[in-house]
Amino acid sequence: MNAEVCELKELEVAHFEIREVLRCILHTIIFHRALGLIRPKGIDCEHFEITYVQCGDAEVEKKIEEKIDEFINKTEKHPNRKSQICLSFYEIKNKQSTWFSNNKVERLYWEHWYINLHVINPKSHGKSHHNKATTDLGGGALEESTSRHAALESSIREVLFQIIRFVNEKKDHLPSIPIQEGISFPYEITILSSSDSPFGWHTDVLKRMLQTGHPTMIS
Amino acid sequence: MASSPRNSYSEPPIIEQVITEFFAKSLHIILESRSPYVSSRNYSLDHFASSPSSSCSSSSSRPRDKWFNLALRGCPAALENFDLWRQSNLEPLVVDVLLVRRSSTMDVTRLSPGGCLLRNPSGKDRFPMSPRQDELGTRSEKIIERWIVQYESRKNSSCGKEMYLGSRKSSSVSSHSSEIPTLYKKTYKRTIVMLRSLYLFVRLLPAYKLFRELNSSGRIHPLSLSHRINFFIDPFTRVEDAEMNQFSFVPIDTPCGRLCLCVSYLPTLEDVSSEPSTPLSTQFIMDYVGSPTTDPFKRFQSLSSAGLARRHSWSNDHGGMPSGSPSPSPTYSDSQAMHYNPNVRLPPRHQHDQPPSAISIPHNASGARKKNTSFEDYLSSPFLPTSSPSTPIHFHGGRLPNSLLRFGSAPVSIPSSRHGRNSGLLDQAQPPSSSKPTRPGYSSQTDLCRAQNTSASQTSSPEGKLRTKKDPLSSGDFQTGISLAKAFSFGKDEVGTLPGLKCSSTCIPFSRSSSRLSLLDGFDDSEFDYPFADDEDTTESCNRLELSEGKDQVGLNLETRGLVPVPRSPDAVIGALVRMLNTAPPLQQDLSNSVRSSQVFRDKAWIPRIQHKEDMEAEVEKSESPVSSSGITATGLPKPRTTADALAELRSYKETKELLLKQGGSQSSDDDCKDKSADGDSSQC
Repeated sequence: MNAEVCELKELEVAHFEIREVLRCILHTIIFHRALGLIRPKGIDCEHFEITYVQCGDAEVEKKIEEKIDEFINKTEKHPNRKSQICLSFYEIKNKQSTWFSNNKVERLYWEHWYINLHVINPKSHGKSHHNKATTDLGGGALEESTSRHAALESSIREVLFQIIRFVNEKKDHLPSIPIQEGISFPYEITILSSSDSPFGWHTDVLKRMLQTGHPTMIS
Repeated sequence: MASSPRNSYSEPPIIEQVITEFFAKSLHIILESRSPYVSSRNYSLDHFASSPSSSCSSSSSRPRDKWFNLALRGCPAALENFDLWRQSNLEPLVVDVLLVRRSSTMDVTRLSPGGCLLRNPSGKDRFPMSPRQDELGTRSEKIIERWIVQYESRKNSSCGKEMYLGSRKSSSVSSHSSEIPTLYKKTYKRTIVMLRSLYLFVRLLPAYKLFRELNSSGRIHPLSLSHRINFFIDPFTRVEDAEMNQFSFVPIDTPCGRLCLCVSYLPTLEDVSSEPSTPLSTQFIMDYVGSPTTDPFKRFQSLSSAGLARRHSWSNDHGGMPSGSPSPSPTYSDSQAMHYNPNVRLPPRHQHDQPPSAISIPHNASGARKKNTSFEDYLSSPFLPTSSPSTPIHFHGGRLPNSLLRFGSAPVSIPSSRHGRNSGLLDQAQPPSSSKPTRPGYSSQTDLCRAQNTSASQTSSPEGKLRTKKDPLSSGDFQTGISLAKAFSFGKDEVGTLPGLKCSSTCIPFSRSSSRLSLLDGFDDSEFDYPFADDEDTTESCNRLELSEGKDQVGLNLETRGLVPVPRSPDAVIGALVRMLNTAPPLQQDLSNSVRSSQVFRDKAWIPRIQHKEDMEAEVEKSESPVSSSGITATGLPKPRTTADALAELRSYKETKELLLKQGGSQSSDDDCKDKSADGDSSQC
């Protein structure tokens, strides 16, 4: 069975924004895959003017928070990298016991979501920019962080729309709604190894060189 | 059959029901986040916690929650409109979200749903939420979003599921029953996903931000959101079309057609915050209760003294409590203080009182409500994805649900009367000539009230009572349940005869009111039952309310005292007194001096020491109401007191009261009498 894959647009986030961005995206995806009875909760992002929706399930929330903690710890050790988080939905199939094994629970993955984050260090990020832009200091940095923030906000929106589009377009692969207690299809969140540091740095530089427009242009 | 002009009949009944419910849910989701006052974010926790403990009271709201496994806040606006739609044979449902701009926030002249102009001397009444398209000089409206929910029927010949049709013709039950569940589940599952994405989508559009800002800020904006529902697609002008973005959800195929949902929206909206607005200033409150924003005790004080005036605020906040969204409104902060202050248990009582008041404003709601309930009753056994599809539900029936009775008990008139009272107080606090800033939420309620009242072509008399009584739709309908049907049939007829009818003018008031009802409905907690139960016997007279509350809780007397009928409006009296207190500098000095004598006693008796002035205020209130001599003080903190304490207090109060009266002169002459009686009462204890 081929799993559907949705690769979400990469977001360039500062360290302090990781939690919020991941919450927003992970909850949004799970909300669309929590087909049990839910009472949705609209959540306002703290740093962004975005309202996303949670399915209002404590278990889900806990699991997401744990994974975010894990991710943040990891990025603290390895800053300035691209990282990927994969949210996968699966079905549980009880494999018939064979002569060499007992009952085995098998996970049949039917959907993978890849969340791509590029965790930046705003300060060093600013420096690299300023190396090119030479002179401007304080005010320029502030301006840049504002524009970067605005760009990120609009990128998050794009990602949310991307999720909406995907869930609307791909519906056939959804397994039947599980009868069990959980409100969502079973899922797992895995933090994938980020791209190699030197490589990441190179692509970063390359990207910057190619990136002629100001980040705000995106919005 | 397939050839029936009603394309609804070409679908298997169970799928037809899914389609119908899809319309309902879509409408609900959209209006919930566009129609003021029903923002779900403010709702979540309470409702969620209470709903699992399903009591009979919640039964009417819950079945619909189960549809598509998406439990939403009650949004009667949606249900009402949907009920109208339901008679339209799966016509497209077009929801226009309108941005309404008023040219002035003061002394607004507005168009009532009935088309007559209402002059609004108090400024509290708002324009109807479902305005007509006509434009007056005072307002203009613009479509910022258009949602189209549509069922597109395939030609019968091409109806994809021949197997289904064939089985139907040949009455081959076995194949029929085996096919339908599969189709049903498939359609249902897809619809669930689509509705979830709709739920998110409505929150990502710019109008949602506007909605939130308008709903949460303590300011009166010249802008407001409204909506209009049509059952046909009224094409945009080229200009409108050009500036709109489109988004279409991927249609869901059903056996004989498909479900479509699309939206056109303006990608950018005006920034509300840049608009001139009338602040709901703290002054407004300060006029009668001091500054509620700083000192927690003061806040509390202000609550108790201004309890009546705050009712509407509370009802507004009722929905907003859990989230505690930031609001500059002083009333809001007060209510928050109440929540967080464990000592403050009296106000919550008020809160419970609130819902009925909020609900009852739109009287038409009774009719609407009945309809809703009956409809929901039909749905009492909603299909779960796993449930057997073998029991198709027929929507068209005349069964009168038990729940009607329950709703029938909801007091219609109370809110109106309160409204009237409040206006009295507010009028006291502020000169009538000045604009009456009210919070958006509040205004929306009043709007309804107004809208409904306007149906009777009532003038904008500030006396809600009078209006309610005159309102043919509202009065007495609840008890009988018959007039309700009438009101509804009225709506039906309109729809029937005028297919293109813009139902907004008729249905919105309904919906709004019913939204409050259903919201409450969601709270199956007994605590929320209280208001209803109480209100059951309540008619429009405030006296009755007072009695019933008094029965239940003596401690409430302080708050409810305002309801005791007195020759002069108690609120007005309080307002006058408080104003006097605030504006008489020498009085404050004297006051503190005079009170000092009894300081020792009071320090013992009143553990949380409050400023003298506040005590005085509290006392003033107390003296007005003989009943209030129960252990509850103005601060709401019951304290053990000895007779000596009481006497000492009494003495000091007398002194201060006399000073006060001297200062106030003739203004408070009638308070004097009450005062004495109050003194007499307390001296006997």
